[in-house]
Amino acid sequence: MTVIRLDHIALRYRLAKQRIPSLKEYAIHLVRGALTYQELWALQDVSFSIERGEVVGIVGRNGAGKSTLLKVISGILKPTRGRADVRGRVSPLLELGTGFDFELTGRENVMLNALLLGRSRREVRERFDAIVDFSELGEFIDVPLRNYSSGMTARLGFAIATAWDPEILILDEVLVVGDAAFQQKCHTRLREVLASGATVLMVSHVGRMLIDECSRCLWLADGQLVMDGQPAEILALYEPPKPPDEPLREPVAVEAPVERG
Amino acid sequence: MRNLFRYRDLILTLIARELTVRYKRSTIGFLWTMLQPMLTMAVLHIVFSSIFRFQIPNYAVYVLAGVLFWNFFSQSIISSMNSLRGNAGLLKKLPVPHAVFPIATVAAGVVNLVLALVPLLALLVVTGHGLSPSLLFLPVSIAIATLFTLGAGLLLSPLAVIFYDVVEVVGVVMMLAMYATPIFYPMSILPPTFHWFVRFNPIRSILEVFRDPIFYNKVPPLSHLTVALTVALLAFALGCWSFRRSADRIPFYV
Repeated sequence: MTVIRLDHIALRYRLAKQRIPSLKEYAIHLVRGALTYQELWALQDVSFSIERGEVVGIVGRNGAGKSTLLKVISGILKPTRGRADVRGRVSPLLELGTGFDFELTGRENVMLNALLLGRSRREVRERFDAIVDFSELGEFIDVPLRNYSSGMTARLGFAIATAWDPEILILDEVLVVGDAAFQQKCHTRLREVLASGATVLMVSHVGRMLIDECSRCLWLADGQLVMDGQPAEILALYEPPKPPDEPLREPVAVEAPVERG
Repeated sequence: MRNLFRYRDLILTLIARELTVRYKRSTIGFLWTMLQPMLTMAVLHIVFSSIFRFQIPNYAVYVLAGVLFWNFFSQSIISSMNSLRGNAGLLKKLPVPHAVFPIATVAAGVVNLVLALVPLLALLVVTGHGLSPSLLFLPVSIAIATLFTLGAGLLLSPLAVIFYDVVEVVGVVMMLAMYATPIFYPMSILPPTFHWFVRFNPIRSILEVFRDPIFYNKVPPLSHLTVALTVALLAFALGCWSFRRSADRIPFYV
Protein backbone atom coordinates (compact mmCIF):
# COMPACT_ATOMS: atom_id res chain seq x y z
CA MET A 1 0.00 0.00 0.00
CA THR A 2 1.28 3.43 -0.92
CA VAL A 3 1.49 5.65 2.14
CA ILE A 4 3.31 8.63 0.67
CA ARG A 5 2.74 9.88 -2.84
CA LEU A 6 4.32 13.11 -4.03
CA ASP A 7 3.07 14.36 -7.33
CA HIS A 8 5.16 17.05 -9.07
CA ILE A 9 5.93 18.89 -5.85
CA ALA A 10 7.47 22.33 -6.14
CA LEU A 11 8.07 24.73 -3.31
CA ARG A 12 9.08 28.34 -3.60
CA TYR A 13 10.55 30.52 -0.92
CA ARG A 14 10.10 34.20 -1.58
CA LEU A 15 12.90 36.04 0.08
CA ALA A 16 12.18 39.73 0.26
CA LYS A 17 15.25 41.68 -0.73
CA GLN A 18 14.27 44.39 1.68
CA ARG A 19 13.84 43.74 5.34
CA ILE A 20 10.13 44.35 5.83
CA PRO A 21 9.18 43.22 9.27
CA SER A 22 6.74 46.07 9.84
CA LEU A 23 3.49 47.09 8.28
CA LYS A 24 4.75 50.65 7.98
CA GLU A 25 7.81 49.63 5.97
CA TYR A 26 5.70 47.29 3.87
CA ALA A 27 3.34 50.15 3.02
CA ILE A 28 6.26 52.43 2.14
CA HIS A 29 7.86 49.82 -0.12
CA LEU A 30 4.53 49.03 -1.70
CA VAL A 31 3.85 52.68 -2.51
CA ARG A 32 7.31 53.10 -3.97
CA GLY A 33 6.80 49.95 -5.96
CA ALA A 34 10.13 48.77 -4.65
CA LEU A 35 9.00 45.49 -3.21
CA THR A 36 11.08 42.86 -4.92
CA TYR A 37 11.57 39.28 -4.01
CA GLN A 38 14.25 36.83 -4.69
CA GLU A 39 12.63 33.58 -5.62
CA LEU A 40 14.16 30.38 -4.47
CA TRP A 41 12.73 27.09 -5.64
CA ALA A 42 13.72 24.75 -2.85
CA LEU A 43 11.96 21.85 -4.55
CA GLN A 44 11.29 21.50 -8.25
CA ASP A 45 9.03 18.89 -9.71
CA VAL A 46 9.72 16.14 -7.20
CA SER A 47 7.61 13.00 -7.62
CA PHE A 48 7.91 9.63 -5.93
CA SER A 49 5.88 7.27 -3.85
CA ILE A 50 6.71 5.19 -0.84
CA GLU A 51 5.08 1.92 0.18
CA ARG A 52 4.22 1.01 3.73
CA GLY A 53 7.19 -0.35 5.67
CA GLU A 54 9.87 1.07 3.41
CA VAL A 55 12.87 2.65 5.09
CA VAL A 56 14.05 5.40 2.80
CA GLY A 57 17.22 7.43 3.17
CA ILE A 58 17.71 10.84 1.64
CA VAL A 59 21.09 12.24 0.68
CA GLY A 60 22.12 15.54 -0.79
CA ARG A 61 24.31 18.52 -0.06
CA ASN A 62 23.35 21.46 2.09
CA GLY A 63 20.57 23.43 0.46
CA ALA A 64 19.54 20.54 -1.77
CA GLY A 65 16.03 20.67 -0.30
CA LYS A 66 16.18 17.67 2.05
CA SER A 67 14.71 19.41 5.08
CA THR A 68 12.11 21.20 2.97
CA LEU A 69 11.05 17.86 1.52
CA LEU A 70 10.66 16.37 4.99
CA LYS A 71 8.60 19.38 6.06
CA VAL A 72 6.29 19.01 3.08
CA ILE A 73 5.74 15.33 3.90
CA SER A 74 5.19 16.19 7.57
CA GLY A 75 2.52 18.71 6.61
CA ILE A 76 4.44 21.66 8.02
CA LEU A 77 4.96 23.39 4.69
CA LYS A 78 2.37 23.48 1.96
CA PRO A 79 3.89 23.02 -1.48
CA THR A 80 3.54 25.86 -3.95
CA ARG A 81 2.63 23.37 -6.67
CA GLY A 82 1.82 19.72 -6.81
CA ARG A 83 0.13 17.34 -4.44
CA ALA A 84 1.40 15.53 -1.40
CA ASP A 85 -0.76 12.61 -0.31
CA VAL A 86 0.28 11.17 3.01
CA ARG A 87 -1.76 8.37 4.56
CA GLY A 88 -1.17 7.72 8.21
CA ARG A 89 0.13 9.58 11.17
CA VAL A 90 3.45 11.34 10.69
CA SER A 91 5.86 11.68 13.61
CA PRO A 92 8.37 14.30 12.60
CA LEU A 93 11.58 14.18 14.58
CA LEU A 94 13.09 17.28 13.06
CA GLU A 95 14.40 18.94 16.17
CA LEU A 96 14.17 17.59 19.69
CA GLY A 97 12.35 19.55 22.32
CA THR A 98 10.57 21.92 19.96
CA GLY A 99 7.89 23.53 22.06
CA PHE A 100 9.49 22.98 25.44
CA ASP A 101 8.53 25.66 27.92
CA PHE A 102 11.57 26.25 30.09
CA GLU A 103 9.54 27.71 32.93
CA LEU A 104 7.55 24.49 33.31
CA THR A 105 8.79 21.33 35.01
CA GLY A 106 9.83 18.22 33.09
CA ARG A 107 6.55 16.59 34.07
CA GLU A 108 4.48 19.45 32.67
CA ASN A 109 6.61 19.54 29.54
CA VAL A 110 6.08 15.84 28.86
CA MET A 111 2.36 16.51 28.69
CA LEU A 112 2.63 19.72 26.69
CA ASN A 113 5.18 18.38 24.23
CA ALA A 114 3.33 15.13 23.59
CA LEU A 115 0.08 17.06 23.05
CA LEU A 116 1.90 19.25 20.53
CA LEU A 117 2.93 16.06 18.77
CA GLY A 118 -0.76 15.24 18.47
CA ARG A 119 -1.15 12.80 21.36
CA SER A 120 -4.11 12.78 23.72
CA ARG A 121 -3.93 13.22 27.50
CA ARG A 122 -4.86 9.58 27.96
CA GLU A 123 -2.05 8.40 25.70
CA VAL A 124 0.43 10.56 27.62
CA ARG A 125 -0.73 9.28 30.99
CA GLU A 126 -0.35 5.69 29.77
CA ARG A 127 3.22 6.24 28.65
CA PHE A 128 4.31 8.79 31.23
CA ASP A 129 6.34 6.43 33.42
CA ALA A 130 8.01 4.84 30.42
CA ILE A 131 9.04 8.28 29.15
CA VAL A 132 10.55 9.27 32.50
CA ASP A 133 12.34 5.92 32.79
CA PHE A 134 13.81 6.21 29.34
CA SER A 135 14.98 9.79 29.91
CA GLU A 136 16.77 8.72 33.13
CA LEU A 137 15.80 12.02 34.73
CA GLY A 138 14.54 10.50 37.99
CA GLU A 139 13.64 13.18 40.50
CA PHE A 140 14.61 15.94 38.09
CA ILE A 141 11.29 15.38 36.32
CA ASP A 142 9.72 17.81 38.82
CA VAL A 143 12.33 20.53 38.31
CA PRO A 144 11.75 23.40 35.83
CA LEU A 145 13.53 22.83 32.52
CA ARG A 146 15.57 26.00 32.86
CA ASN A 147 17.67 24.14 35.44
CA TYR A 148 18.36 21.22 33.10
CA SER A 149 21.62 20.69 31.27
CA SER A 150 21.32 20.59 27.49
CA GLY A 151 21.91 16.83 27.59
CA MET A 152 19.05 16.33 30.03
CA THR A 153 16.73 18.40 27.87
CA ALA A 154 17.67 16.47 24.75
CA ARG A 155 17.18 13.15 26.55
CA LEU A 156 13.69 14.18 27.58
CA GLY A 157 12.93 15.35 24.03
CA PHE A 158 14.07 12.05 22.56
CA ALA A 159 12.13 10.03 25.14
CA ILE A 160 8.89 11.86 24.33
CA ALA A 161 9.33 11.82 20.58
CA THR A 162 9.98 8.09 20.41
CA ALA A 163 7.57 6.95 23.13
CA TRP A 164 4.99 5.81 20.61
CA ASP A 165 5.68 3.57 17.65
CA PRO A 166 5.03 5.87 14.70
CA GLU A 167 3.22 4.99 11.49
CA ILE A 168 5.46 7.26 9.46
CA LEU A 169 8.69 8.43 11.06
CA ILE A 170 10.57 11.41 9.69
CA LEU A 171 14.15 11.78 10.90
CA ASP A 172 16.28 14.77 10.03
CA GLU A 173 19.84 13.74 10.87
CA VAL A 174 20.34 10.84 13.18
CA LEU A 175 19.24 12.07 16.53
CA VAL A 176 21.53 10.61 19.06
CA VAL A 177 21.93 12.41 22.33
CA GLY A 178 23.66 12.31 25.67
CA ASP A 179 26.63 10.28 26.82
CA ALA A 180 27.85 7.08 25.22
CA ALA A 181 25.56 4.83 27.24
CA PHE A 182 22.52 6.92 26.43
CA GLN A 183 23.45 7.03 22.76
CA GLN A 184 23.49 3.27 22.74
CA LYS A 185 19.95 3.35 24.12
CA CYS A 186 18.85 5.81 21.43
CA HIS A 187 20.25 3.57 18.71
CA THR A 188 18.52 0.56 20.20
CA ARG A 189 15.24 2.44 20.36
CA LEU A 190 15.56 3.66 16.78
CA ARG A 191 16.27 0.10 15.62
CA GLU A 192 13.13 -1.05 17.44
CA VAL A 193 11.11 1.62 15.62
CA LEU A 194 12.65 0.62 12.30
CA ALA A 195 11.84 -3.01 13.03
CA SER A 196 8.26 -2.24 14.08
CA GLY A 197 7.24 -1.99 10.45
CA ALA A 198 6.96 1.77 10.39
CA THR A 199 7.53 3.67 7.20
CA VAL A 200 10.67 5.72 7.73
CA LEU A 201 12.23 8.63 5.90
CA MET A 202 15.62 9.72 7.15
CA VAL A 203 18.14 12.29 6.18
CA SER A 204 21.61 11.27 7.19
CA HIS A 205 25.16 12.15 6.45
CA VAL A 206 26.37 8.89 7.87
CA GLY A 207 26.60 6.61 4.85
CA ARG A 208 27.02 3.49 6.98
CA MET A 209 23.68 4.13 8.67
CA LEU A 210 21.92 4.44 5.31
CA ILE A 211 23.39 1.27 3.91
CA ASP A 212 22.63 -0.65 7.10
CA GLU A 213 19.10 0.59 7.69
CA CYS A 214 17.57 1.67 4.41
CA SER A 215 15.98 -0.37 1.70
CA ARG A 216 15.98 2.55 -0.69
CA CYS A 217 17.70 5.86 -1.13
CA LEU A 218 16.78 9.19 -2.74
CA TRP A 219 19.37 11.68 -3.93
CA LEU A 220 18.37 15.30 -4.04
CA ALA A 221 20.37 18.07 -5.71
CA ASP A 222 19.21 21.66 -6.21
CA GLY A 223 15.68 20.78 -5.30
CA GLN A 224 15.42 17.97 -7.82
CA LEU A 225 15.34 14.25 -7.47
CA VAL A 226 18.49 13.01 -9.20
CA MET A 227 18.39 9.35 -8.35
CA ASP A 228 16.17 6.81 -6.66
CA GLY A 229 17.62 3.39 -5.98
CA GLN A 230 19.64 1.05 -3.80
CA PRO A 231 21.51 2.83 -0.97
CA ALA A 232 24.87 1.20 -1.80
CA GLU A 233 24.53 2.10 -5.45
CA ILE A 234 23.61 5.73 -4.75
CA LEU A 235 26.22 6.25 -2.06
CA ALA A 236 28.90 5.03 -4.45
CA LEU A 237 27.98 7.84 -6.82
CA TYR A 238 27.20 10.40 -4.17
CA GLU A 239 30.51 11.16 -2.56
CA PRO A 240 30.32 13.88 0.05
CA PRO A 241 32.75 16.55 -1.16
CA LYS A 242 36.02 16.76 0.73
CA PRO A 243 36.68 18.90 2.60
CA PRO A 244 32.96 18.64 3.43
CA ASP A 245 30.96 21.87 3.43
CA GLU A 246 29.67 20.90 6.81
CA PRO A 247 31.58 19.04 9.47
CA LEU A 248 30.93 15.33 9.26
CA ARG A 249 29.62 14.61 12.66
CA GLU A 250 30.75 11.47 14.34
CA PRO A 251 27.89 9.88 16.25
CA VAL A 252 29.95 10.08 19.43
CA ALA A 253 30.12 13.86 19.36
CA VAL A 254 26.57 14.50 18.29
CA GLU A 255 24.29 16.49 20.53
CA ALA A 256 20.86 16.96 19.05
CA PRO A 257 20.04 20.64 18.77
CA VAL A 258 17.58 21.82 21.37
CA GLU A 259 15.89 25.09 20.81
CA ARG A 260 15.66 27.34 23.82
CA GLY A 261 12.64 29.49 24.52
CA MET B 1 -11.56 20.51 11.16
CA ARG B 2 -11.00 16.80 11.75
CA ASN B 3 -7.44 17.65 12.54
CA LEU B 4 -8.46 20.25 15.11
CA PHE B 5 -10.59 17.63 16.83
CA ARG B 6 -7.56 15.39 17.18
CA TYR B 7 -5.74 18.21 18.95
CA ARG B 8 -8.61 18.92 21.37
CA ASP B 9 -6.54 17.94 24.41
CA LEU B 10 -3.85 20.37 23.32
CA ILE B 11 -6.45 23.14 23.03
CA LEU B 12 -7.73 22.39 26.55
CA THR B 13 -4.20 22.47 27.93
CA LEU B 14 -3.44 25.75 26.16
CA ILE B 15 -6.61 27.25 27.64
CA ALA B 16 -5.58 26.16 31.13
CA ARG B 17 -2.09 27.52 30.58
CA GLU B 18 -3.42 30.83 29.30
CA LEU B 19 -5.61 31.15 32.38
CA THR B 20 -2.94 30.24 34.91
CA VAL B 21 0.03 32.05 33.39
CA ARG B 22 -1.79 35.35 33.53
CA TYR B 23 -2.35 35.07 37.25
CA LYS B 24 0.73 33.17 38.34
CA ARG B 25 2.63 36.24 39.48
CA SER B 26 -0.36 37.93 41.06
CA THR B 27 -1.06 37.24 44.71
CA ILE B 28 -4.81 37.62 44.37
CA GLY B 29 -4.80 35.40 41.26
CA PHE B 30 -8.19 34.75 39.74
CA LEU B 31 -9.82 37.46 41.88
CA TRP B 32 -8.15 39.90 39.56
CA THR B 33 -10.45 38.80 36.70
CA MET B 34 -13.37 39.94 38.79
CA LEU B 35 -11.79 43.00 40.35
CA GLN B 36 -10.34 44.59 37.22
CA PRO B 37 -13.66 45.28 35.44
CA MET B 38 -15.16 46.52 38.71
CA LEU B 39 -12.36 49.05 39.10
CA THR B 40 -12.72 50.16 35.47
CA MET B 41 -16.42 50.51 36.05
CA ALA B 42 -15.82 52.56 39.21
CA VAL B 43 -13.52 54.96 37.37
CA LEU B 44 -15.92 55.38 34.46
CA HIS B 45 -18.76 55.81 36.92
CA ILE B 46 -17.02 58.65 38.69
CA VAL B 47 -15.99 60.32 35.45
CA PHE B 48 -19.22 60.07 33.51
CA SER B 49 -21.87 60.08 36.21
CA SER B 50 -20.43 62.81 38.38
CA ILE B 51 -18.37 64.93 36.01
CA PHE B 52 -20.17 64.63 32.66
CA ARG B 53 -23.51 63.93 34.38
CA PHE B 54 -24.91 61.26 32.07
CA GLN B 55 -28.57 60.79 32.80
CA ILE B 56 -28.71 57.02 32.92
CA PRO B 57 -30.40 55.40 35.88
CA ASN B 58 -28.16 52.72 37.31
CA TYR B 59 -25.22 53.75 35.14
CA ALA B 60 -22.93 51.37 37.04
CA VAL B 61 -24.71 48.33 35.61
CA TYR B 62 -24.83 49.87 32.13
CA VAL B 63 -21.11 50.54 32.06
CA LEU B 64 -20.02 47.29 33.72
CA ALA B 65 -21.93 45.23 31.15
CA GLY B 66 -20.25 47.28 28.41
CA VAL B 67 -16.79 46.95 29.93
CA LEU B 68 -17.10 43.18 30.34
CA PHE B 69 -18.03 42.79 26.70
CA TRP B 70 -15.31 45.13 25.51
CA ASN B 71 -12.58 43.55 27.62
CA PHE B 72 -13.50 40.15 26.26
CA PHE B 73 -13.53 41.33 22.68
CA SER B 74 -10.39 43.45 22.64
CA GLN B 75 -8.24 41.31 24.94
CA SER B 76 -9.12 38.15 23.03
CA ILE B 77 -8.04 39.71 19.76
CA ILE B 78 -4.80 41.21 21.06
CA SER B 79 -3.96 37.96 22.90
CA SER B 80 -4.69 35.75 19.92
CA MET B 81 -2.36 37.88 17.83
CA ASN B 82 0.35 37.60 20.47
CA SER B 83 -0.26 33.91 20.96
CA LEU B 84 0.06 33.03 17.28
CA ARG B 85 3.16 35.18 17.00
CA GLY B 86 4.67 33.75 20.16
CA ASN B 87 4.18 30.21 18.89
CA ALA B 88 5.07 30.83 15.26
CA GLY B 89 8.50 29.25 15.75
CA LEU B 90 6.78 26.00 16.67
CA LEU B 91 4.70 26.02 13.52
CA LYS B 92 7.89 25.80 11.49
CA LYS B 93 8.86 22.58 13.22
CA LEU B 94 5.66 20.74 14.06
CA PRO B 95 2.51 20.01 12.06
CA VAL B 96 0.22 21.55 14.68
CA PRO B 97 -2.97 23.05 13.22
CA HIS B 98 -2.27 26.77 13.42
CA ALA B 99 -5.78 27.61 14.56
CA VAL B 100 -5.34 25.95 17.96
CA PHE B 101 -3.64 29.11 19.28
CA PRO B 102 -6.33 31.72 18.49
CA ILE B 103 -9.04 29.21 19.44
CA ALA B 104 -7.49 28.53 22.85
CA THR B 105 -6.99 32.24 23.49
CA VAL B 106 -10.58 33.16 22.70
CA ALA B 107 -11.83 30.21 24.76
CA ALA B 108 -9.75 31.40 27.73
CA GLY B 109 -11.34 34.81 27.21
CA VAL B 110 -14.79 33.22 27.48
CA VAL B 111 -13.81 31.63 30.80
CA ASN B 112 -12.64 35.01 32.06
CA LEU B 113 -15.87 36.63 30.89
CA VAL B 114 -17.97 34.05 32.71
CA LEU B 115 -15.92 34.53 35.90
CA ALA B 116 -16.37 38.27 35.63
CA LEU B 117 -20.15 37.79 35.54
CA VAL B 118 -20.02 36.94 39.26
CA PRO B 119 -19.31 40.51 40.43
CA LEU B 120 -21.81 41.75 37.83
CA LEU B 121 -24.54 39.66 39.41
CA ALA B 122 -23.48 40.96 42.82
CA LEU B 123 -23.75 44.51 41.50
CA LEU B 124 -27.23 43.82 40.16
CA VAL B 125 -28.31 42.74 43.63
CA VAL B 126 -26.52 45.51 45.55
CA THR B 127 -27.84 48.32 43.35
CA GLY B 128 -31.39 47.00 43.59
CA HIS B 129 -31.53 46.38 39.86
CA GLY B 130 -32.49 42.82 40.65
CA LEU B 131 -31.90 39.49 38.95
CA SER B 132 -34.27 39.17 36.04
CA PRO B 133 -35.07 35.87 34.29
CA SER B 134 -33.78 37.50 31.11
CA LEU B 135 -30.26 36.79 32.43
CA LEU B 136 -30.85 33.19 31.40
CA PHE B 137 -30.49 34.43 27.84
CA LEU B 138 -26.85 35.40 28.45
CA PRO B 139 -25.34 32.09 27.26
CA VAL B 140 -26.81 32.78 23.81
CA SER B 141 -25.43 36.34 23.88
CA ILE B 142 -22.01 35.06 24.90
CA ALA B 143 -22.07 32.43 22.16
CA ILE B 144 -22.78 35.13 19.56
CA ALA B 145 -20.03 37.36 20.98
CA THR B 146 -17.62 34.41 20.92
CA LEU B 147 -18.36 33.61 17.29
CA PHE B 148 -17.79 37.23 16.36
CA THR B 149 -14.58 37.56 18.39
CA LEU B 150 -13.13 34.29 17.11
CA GLY B 151 -13.80 35.44 13.56
CA ALA B 152 -11.97 38.70 14.19
CA GLY B 153 -9.13 36.86 15.94
CA LEU B 154 -8.70 34.41 13.05
CA LEU B 155 -8.73 37.29 10.60
CA LEU B 156 -6.14 39.39 12.41
CA SER B 157 -3.78 36.97 14.15
CA PRO B 158 -1.81 35.80 11.06
CA LEU B 159 -0.95 39.42 10.35
CA ALA B 160 0.87 39.61 13.67
CA VAL B 161 3.30 36.93 12.50
CA ILE B 162 4.03 38.72 9.26
CA PHE B 163 4.41 42.29 10.56
CA TYR B 164 5.69 42.99 14.04
CA ASP B 165 3.93 46.34 14.41
CA VAL B 166 0.44 45.12 13.58
CA VAL B 167 -0.40 44.52 17.22
CA GLU B 168 0.22 48.19 18.03
CA VAL B 169 -1.81 49.31 15.01
CA VAL B 170 -4.68 47.06 16.04
CA GLY B 171 -4.42 48.46 19.58
CA VAL B 172 -5.02 51.96 18.25
CA VAL B 173 -7.85 50.80 15.98
CA MET B 174 -9.39 49.06 19.00
CA MET B 175 -9.38 52.30 20.93
CA LEU B 176 -11.14 54.04 18.05
CA ALA B 177 -13.62 51.18 17.85
CA MET B 178 -14.29 51.46 21.57
CA TYR B 179 -15.27 55.11 21.21
CA ALA B 180 -17.42 54.21 18.23
CA THR B 181 -19.29 51.67 20.34
CA PRO B 182 -21.66 52.78 23.09
CA ILE B 183 -19.71 51.07 25.88
CA PHE B 184 -19.81 53.83 28.45
CA TYR B 185 -22.15 56.40 26.90
CA PRO B 186 -25.79 56.14 25.90
CA MET B 187 -26.72 56.46 22.22
CA SER B 188 -28.85 59.47 23.12
CA ILE B 189 -25.90 61.77 23.86
CA LEU B 190 -24.52 61.43 20.33
CA PRO B 191 -24.78 64.46 18.05
CA PRO B 192 -26.71 63.63 14.85
CA THR B 193 -23.52 63.67 12.74
CA PHE B 194 -22.07 60.71 14.62
CA HIS B 195 -25.29 58.90 15.32
CA TRP B 196 -25.41 56.95 12.07
CA PHE B 197 -21.77 55.99 12.45
CA VAL B 198 -22.27 54.35 15.82
CA ARG B 199 -25.63 52.97 14.81
CA PHE B 200 -24.20 51.01 11.92
CA ASN B 201 -21.15 49.86 13.84
CA PRO B 202 -21.46 46.06 13.66
CA ILE B 203 -19.81 45.64 17.07
CA ARG B 204 -22.73 47.55 18.62
CA SER B 205 -25.22 44.91 17.53
CA ILE B 206 -23.19 42.25 19.35
CA LEU B 207 -22.86 44.46 22.44
CA GLU B 208 -26.59 45.22 22.60
CA VAL B 209 -27.49 41.55 22.51
CA PHE B 210 -25.18 41.07 25.48
CA ARG B 211 -26.37 44.13 27.42
CA ASP B 212 -30.13 43.84 26.86
CA PRO B 213 -30.65 40.93 29.26
CA ILE B 214 -28.45 42.54 31.91
CA PHE B 215 -29.43 46.21 31.82
CA TYR B 216 -32.87 46.33 30.21
CA ASN B 217 -34.05 43.03 31.74
CA LYS B 218 -35.27 41.82 28.39
CA VAL B 219 -34.52 39.22 25.81
CA PRO B 220 -33.21 41.13 22.77
CA PRO B 221 -35.88 41.66 20.10
CA LEU B 222 -35.79 39.17 17.25
CA SER B 223 -34.75 41.84 14.74
CA HIS B 224 -31.65 42.74 16.79
CA LEU B 225 -30.86 39.09 17.35
CA THR B 226 -31.02 38.40 13.64
CA VAL B 227 -28.69 41.29 12.87
CA ALA B 228 -26.20 40.26 15.59
CA LEU B 229 -26.21 36.62 14.56
CA THR B 230 -25.72 37.56 10.91
CA VAL B 231 -22.84 39.87 11.81
CA ALA B 232 -21.25 37.16 13.98
CA LEU B 233 -21.63 34.46 11.34
CA LEU B 234 -20.21 36.71 8.65
CA ALA B 235 -17.24 37.63 10.84
CA PHE B 236 -16.65 33.97 11.64
CA ALA B 237 -16.90 32.90 8.00
CA LEU B 238 -14.56 35.69 6.93
CA GLY B 239 -12.12 34.77 9.71
CA CYS B 240 -12.09 31.07 8.76
CA TRP B 241 -11.73 31.82 5.09
CA SER B 242 -8.83 34.24 5.51
CA PHE B 243 -7.13 32.08 8.14
CA ARG B 244 -7.14 29.08 5.84
CA ARG B 245 -5.53 31.17 3.18
CA SER B 246 -2.92 32.88 5.32
CA ALA B 247 -2.12 30.05 7.74
CA ASP B 248 -0.22 28.11 5.08
CA ARG B 249 2.11 31.06 4.71
CA ILE B 250 2.92 31.46 8.41
CA PRO B 251 5.90 29.06 8.47
CA PHE B 252 7.50 31.07 5.69
CA TYR B 253 7.51 34.27 7.69
CA VAL B 254 9.21 33.08 10.84
